[in-house]
Amino acid sequence: MATIREKGYTHWEGVLEERKLPWWPITRTGIQLAFRRKHFKFFFSVSFLPAVVFLVGIYISERIEDFKFMIQGSENFIKINPAFFKTYFTNDFLLFMMVTLLVFSGAGLISDDLKHNALQLYFSRPIGKKDYFLGKASVIFFFILALTLVPGLVLFFMKIVFSGNFKLLTEYPWLLLAIIGFSVLITVFFAFYTLLLSAISKNRRYVTILIFAIYVFSDAIYGILFGIFRSPYVALFSLKASFQQAGAIIFGQKLPYAYPGYLSFLVLFGICALSAAVLHRRIRGVEVIK
Amino acid sequence: MLRTVREVFTFFFFLGKRSQKLKVFFLLSLLPVALAIVVRMTFMRRSSEVMSVFQEILMVYFLQFLIIILTLFYGTSVCSEEIEGKTLPYLTTRPLTKSGIIIGKFAAYTALSAVMVIVSLVASYLIMSFQRLGEAATYGALLRYTGVLILGLMAYTAMFTFLGTFLKKSILIGLVFGFGWETAIQYFPGSTQRFSVVHYLKSLLPYFSKGKFSLLMFRLEPTSPVLAVLVLLLITSGFLGLACLFFSLKEYMFED
Amino acid sequence: MTAVIETRTLSKWYGNVLGLSDVSLSIEPGITGLLGPNGAGKSTFMKLLTGQLKPNIGSVSILGRRIWNDFGAFAKIGFCPESDAFYEEISGWEFLTGLLSFHGFSKAEVRARAEKALDIVDLTGDKDRRIRGYSRGMRQRIKFAQAIGHDPEIIILDEPLSGLDPLGKRKLIRLIKDFRDQGRTILVSSHVLPEIEAMTSRIILIHQGKILAQGDIHFVRDLIESHPHVISIKCDDARGLASKFVNEPYVLKLHFGPDGDTLVAETHKRDAFFGRLNQVVLESGLKVEEITSPDDNLQAVFDYLVGK
Repeated sequence: MATIREKGYTHWEGVLEERKLPWWPITRTGIQLAFRRKHFKFFFSVSFLPAVVFLVGIYISERIEDFKFMIQGSENFIKINPAFFKTYFTNDFLLFMMVTLLVFSGAGLISDDLKHNALQLYFSRPIGKKDYFLGKASVIFFFILALTLVPGLVLFFMKIVFSGNFKLLTEYPWLLLAIIGFSVLITVFFAFYTLLLSAISKNRRYVTILIFAIYVFSDAIYGILFGIFRSPYVALFSLKASFQQAGAIIFGQKLPYAYPGYLSFLVLFGICALSAAVLHRRIRGVEVIK
Repeated sequence: MLRTVREVFTFFFFLGKRSQKLKVFFLLSLLPVALAIVVRMTFMRRSSEVMSVFQEILMVYFLQFLIIILTLFYGTSVCSEEIEGKTLPYLTTRPLTKSGIIIGKFAAYTALSAVMVIVSLVASYLIMSFQRLGEAATYGALLRYTGVLILGLMAYTAMFTFLGTFLKKSILIGLVFGFGWETAIQYFPGSTQRFSVVHYLKSLLPYFSKGKFSLLMFRLEPTSPVLAVLVLLLITSGFLGLACLFFSLKEYMFED
Repeated sequence: MTAVIETRTLSKWYGNVLGLSDVSLSIEPGITGLLGPNGAGKSTFMKLLTGQLKPNIGSVSILGRRIWNDFGAFAKIGFCPESDAFYEEISGWEFLTGLLSFHGFSKAEVRARAEKALDIVDLTGDKDRRIRGYSRGMRQRIKFAQAIGHDPEIIILDEPLSGLDPLGKRKLIRLIKDFRDQGRTILVSSHVLPEIEAMTSRIILIHQGKILAQGDIHFVRDLIESHPHVISIKCDDARGLASKFVNEPYVLKLHFGPDGDTLVAETHKRDAFFGRLNQVVLESGLKVEEITSPDDNLQAVFDYLVGK
C-alpha cells in the first residue's frame, strides 16, 4: 500500500535524550583541530623523545653487561628507581615541549571563541559552564597526559617486563601512585594555566606569546632574583622550579631547593585558583560592553 | 611615500596607545624599575657592585627577554594583525604605498616599544646609579644603553615584521628564534656568535669587570662597536626592505 | 559613454579552484548591480577590482589605470568591504578621521569630511562611541561612511545592505541613487536580488566564476528565448479573454489561476501579446484589475540562466 507524504517540516516523534558526556564533542573537536595544525604532528612526535630515551635507558639497565663499554662508570644513572622517574617527569626538554604543545593545542581554545563570538553558540545548547570548561580543559588533559601518564606507565611496566620480576613494585609500591599523582598535578596545572591565558584575550598571537613568555619569564625572574639575593625562596617565582620541587616530594627525593616543598604546591594551586576565578568571570553567554 | 609613512605612523601609534595589551607590556617593562629599587636597598653603598648587577642582570632581562617579547608581538603584528583582523582592505584601498604602510606601522610600533623600554631603562638606571648622578660618565653610559636597546628594538622588529609578511605562523618561528637560537648561539665558539642579533647588541655594551656576575658577557667574543652598529642597521634596513617587497608582491587572503 | 571600469579576460584561481573565469566587461557611470549566489565569484571580482588580488590572467583597469599596486588610483575609489572587521578599540569618529587622513587632506578638511559622512549615514550622535559597542547596522553604516568620506568618483560596495534594517536599507538605496545622480560610478554586489532591483536595472549576473549576462534586466530577459514570458491578467471574464487569445500563434500556453479570475499566458512575443491585449480590452470593454509579469524579474532571469 502506497502513502503520499506531505512535504514540509515534520515534528520529531522520538525521545530527546541528554548526552551523558555533554563536554565530549568540545574535547573531540579541540583534539582534531590541534592535529590539523601544520607542524603539530611533528612537535607532538618530538615530544616523545624523552620517553624513548628513558625507555632505552630501562632496556640498557637490564642489559648492563652488554653496554658496559658505553657507560663506564655511569651505571648509577641507569638505576631504575623513583629518582629515574622524577628525572623523566621534570626534565627541561619535556617541560619545554609541553609548553610548545600548549601553544599549538591550547592558545586558541577560548580566545578563538571570544574572537568569533562563539560562546553564545555553546551556551544556547544544553551545555553549562562546567561542561564548556571540562571540554576545553580535556583537550589539554589529552595532550599532557599523553606525554606524562602514558609514558610513565609504559616505562614502569616495561621495567617489570624487561626485568622479568616485580621487584620495582615490591621495592616501591607507591611509585605507581606517584606517577599518576604527578601526571595529574602537572596536567591540571597546565590546563588551568592555558585556559586562563586563552581567556584573557581574543588575539591568539598574543595568547601564544603569553603562554611561552610567562613560562620563560618565571625562570628568568628566578635567575635574576637569585643572582641578587642568593635566597632559595626566589625559586617560588619559577614554574619549572615549582614542578621540580613538587616532583621531588611526590617521588620521595631530596628537595632541589632549600625551602619547604609545600610552598610549591601552594604556588601551583594558587595559580589554578586564580585561573578558575578569571575563567568564571570571563566566560559568559552574553558579552557586556561598557 | 613620506606622507604615507607619516600618516600611517600617526594612526597606528594612536591605535597602539589605546590597546589593552599596551598596559600589560608596560607593566612588564616596569619590572626592572621594581628590581632596581630592591637592589638599591640591598646594595646600599656598593655602587660598583650595583652597576654590575644592572648590566649583568637587568640588561639580561631587557636584552634577552623584554625586547624580544615586545618586538615579537609588535613586529609580527605589523602585517599579521591586519590579516587576522581583516582590516587590510582599509589600508590597501587608500592612496598609500604598500612600502609606506609597512614602514609607517614598523615605525609606530617601534616607537611604542621604545617608549616603554626607555622609560623603564632610564628609571632603573638612575635608581641604580643614584650615587653617581653628578658624573658625566653616568649619563654617557645611560645613552649607550639606550642606544643599544633602540638598535635592538629596530633590528628585532624589522626581522619579525618580515616574518609576519612572509609566514602565516610567524609567532612560532619568532619564538624559536628569539628564545631558542638567540640564547643557544652564545655558547657556540668563534664566528658562529655573529649569526645572532644579540651578539652585536652585547658588543656595544660598556664592559664591566666580570666579578660575581658574568651572565650577559658569558663567552662573548665582541665585534667592534662601529661594525656592530653597521650590522644592526643593515639587519634593520635589510629585513624592512624585504618586508616591503613581500608585502607589495604578495596577495593576502582572509580565512573565512 | 566611456567605460570607467574595464576588465579583459580576467581570471583568478585559488590553487586548483577557479574563482573567476574569463571576465571581460565594461562598467559605465551609474549604478551597476553585481549579482550572484554565495560563492559565485562576486567578492573575488570585487577584490580584483580593488587591487587586493592579482589576476592570474587578464587585466583590470579603472579610469584607464591598471589597479594592482597602483596606490594613486585609490584617491578616486571608495571601497566598502563585505567583512565585518574594524579597529574595535577606537570610536567611529577616530576610525573615520584616521582613514581620511590617509588621503592627504588637511586636519580641518578631514574633520569637515568626517562630519559630513557621519551625517549622511546618521551616526553623528554615536560618533564618540567605540566601534565595539556598535550594533550590526551601525557597523555597516560606518563602513559605508569610510567608503564615501573622501568623495570618490567610483564607489565599490560589497554587500552594503547586509545587516541593515528595512528603513536603513531604504535610506542607503536612496543615498546610492543620489550618488548616481551626481555622475558617480557605483558597483554594488549582492545575493539578494530584490535589493538590487530597487537600485538599478543595469546588472551583471555571475555564477560559478563566469558572467552569465550583462545589461539592462529587461533586455536580458528578452534575450532568453528559451523561456517564454509569463503574463498574469486578473479580470472579470478570464475565460472570455482566453478565447480571444487561443488562436494567436505567439501564445504558447493558457491556464487559469486557482481563483478562476486570473488568466496566465505564456508567450515568446511579449510586445505582440500586449498589443493584442489592448485591442481586446477596447473591443470587449473587459474590466482588467491587474496585469503582472511574474518572471520579468531578476530572480526568474537568474533561475533561467542558471538552468533551474
